[in-house]
Amino acid sequence: MSAQLWVSAVQIGCFFGLVALGYYLVLEGADFFNFALGPFAMFSGLTTSWLMAERGWPLGFAAVLGIAVAALLAVVTEVALVRPIDARSGGGELPSLIAVVAVLFAVEQLAGTLFGRHLMPGRSWLPDTSLDLGVATVDGQTLVLVAATLVTFTGVWLWMRKSRYGRILRAVGSNREAARTLGMPVGRVRLVAFALAGLVVGLAGNLFSAKAGVSFQSGFGWALSGFLAMVIGGTGSVWAPLAGGLLLALAQTLVPYYLGSASLDYAVLAVAILFFALRPSGLFVRRVRV
Amino acid sequence: MTAVSAHGETPHAGPAGRLRSAETARVLGTLALTLGVIAWAGGDLFRQDLAILGATYALLALGMYMPFNLAGVLSLAYSAYVAIGGYAVGLVATKTGWPLPLAFLLGAVASAALAVALGFATRRLSGFYLAAVTLLFGVAFQSFLLDAKGITGGALGIGSIRPLTLFGAELDRLSLIALALLTVWIVAVAMDRVRRSPFGVALQSSRDVPAAVEAAGVGVPALRLTVLGAGAAVASLGGALFTTANQTIGPDTFTLHLVTLAIFMPLLGGQGSAWGAVLGAVLVVQLTFNLQIFERAGSLIFGVAVLAVLVIAPRGILGYAGQAARWLHRRLARARGTAQGTGSGGTAR
Repeated sequence: MSAQLWVSAVQIGCFFGLVALGYYLVLEGADFFNFALGPFAMFSGLTTSWLMAERGWPLGFAAVLGIAVAALLAVVTEVALVRPIDARSGGGELPSLIAVVAVLFAVEQLAGTLFGRHLMPGRSWLPDTSLDLGVATVDGQTLVLVAATLVTFTGVWLWMRKSRYGRILRAVGSNREAARTLGMPVGRVRLVAFALAGLVVGLAGNLFSAKAGVSFQSGFGWALSGFLAMVIGGTGSVWAPLAGGLLLALAQTLVPYYLGSASLDYAVLAVAILFFALRPSGLFVRRVRV
Repeated sequence: MTAVSAHGETPHAGPAGRLRSAETARVLGTLALTLGVIAWAGGDLFRQDLAILGATYALLALGMYMPFNLAGVLSLAYSAYVAIGGYAVGLVATKTGWPLPLAFLLGAVASAALAVALGFATRRLSGFYLAAVTLLFGVAFQSFLLDAKGITGGALGIGSIRPLTLFGAELDRLSLIALALLTVWIVAVAMDRVRRSPFGVALQSSRDVPAAVEAAGVGVPALRLTVLGAGAAVASLGGALFTTANQTIGPDTFTLHLVTLAIFMPLLGGQGSAWGAVLGAVLVVQLTFNLQIFERAGSLIFGVAVLAVLVIAPRGILGYAGQAARWLHRRLARARGTAQGTGSGGTAR
């Protein structure tokens, strides 16, 4: 396998890891799988690409707006849909699952209607920069993505350790009922978790679309990949989603290279079923020393 | 729990008689509606397309009705089952000389077997996890359709499928549409009866209180596998009918997208009855294909409508129609009662 493939595996892995980090945050803070995070990432990327291509906005403004829109979508989803439906169903999983599928569909269609139903080609943030490693070249956009991934993960890690809300989020994640009994603002933490996840996937979608391009239907596949990365990594630590993302990306790069393109989807299904059968909590599990 | 039909007001002896007459009215009323749709489709080619698409969607939603709406098991592999029904027709028609009705049967058996196998592999999963893994199955099946060129014809699919012959006579398009719509009617009536049968009650209880159902001696896993298999068979019928009508099938005939639509159909129509799924299918076809005024925003409007229904009207259209009918019924009864009580009203009875 050529070294160039490793570069692309790392790049895709960082992207999957960021989406999985979004899942992780919502899962910790709200005990909820927000499948609509994939479409939020898509919406962010598409907004930015469209603003730059059709409206001639400069990169900075367009990117900030794109990421903000993803966070806004996440907040609206929580406040207007998940919360009331959850309250009505008394914590039943199915109604909120359907609500998320509906959000996924609606966001996809909204993007298709607003920005057109065609692929927006990527446009690198650093078109003139590239890093020559001798065996492989790393283009500017990959550098940006990797750097942003490291900064985001470190930031979230510090936030969960040092800040008030981050610590409450961890408390809620490990025992919701106890946190509620202790009078922690569980509802507000949920909202923070949704918003932060929206920001993270907004950034991820934005950076990845600038490299690989984006269409209104990209979010669906991204949501599934992020979910898989999350399943592989587990929820043992903030860094687990990144490890899961990198492993998934490595598999996604290696399997088609050696076995042909369709085998990828079979392999992904097999990995998912295997993981649920053998290691349902992922590779990294939080261990409590007694 | 039964939705009182507006026609079911003939005075019979006792509540059981009323229920029975409401049931008859519902069965006959829906049959009349089905025949009406067949007549509406008539000779117009576009309407025929809409009718066959609506029937396919309805069969898909009805296939998901037992596992999803009754038992609360959301499997998202249904695009694969529909495709299997379609490819069964395509393969039997082009590679063998067997009669086509056999293909319908083969497709149903194959997708039921696959659904049971997948259900068994994922038996420990529920909710989000089950949805995601079955969705991955759909993705894998889609690439199988593209990849296994020797069987499925790859991206080109299978074309020039011969028309269906029943009892020695070749079916024209209108008869095929009539057959499809009547199939929908039969399946919907059957599903609605299943819902109210002891089996249906066990199913619905297995969604809400699985432990109690287990304690009553009914194995919940076996129950779930049964309805997953039966549902897949029904969905494959939809795919087979659609393929027979269009005489061609390819990997993008039934996409993953279809499953999301199928979840929304009973939601819009109302989950309280199998007819909600059918009504939802009609709405989906209307919104996503027939609304020319909205150009391509039909799907968006549909998505927003689903969200609105979820938040403000969780019981769907039929649920509220049933409530309105009950309210009207009570008001009428009360008005009649007061009229008799005062003795002043000359009600014609």
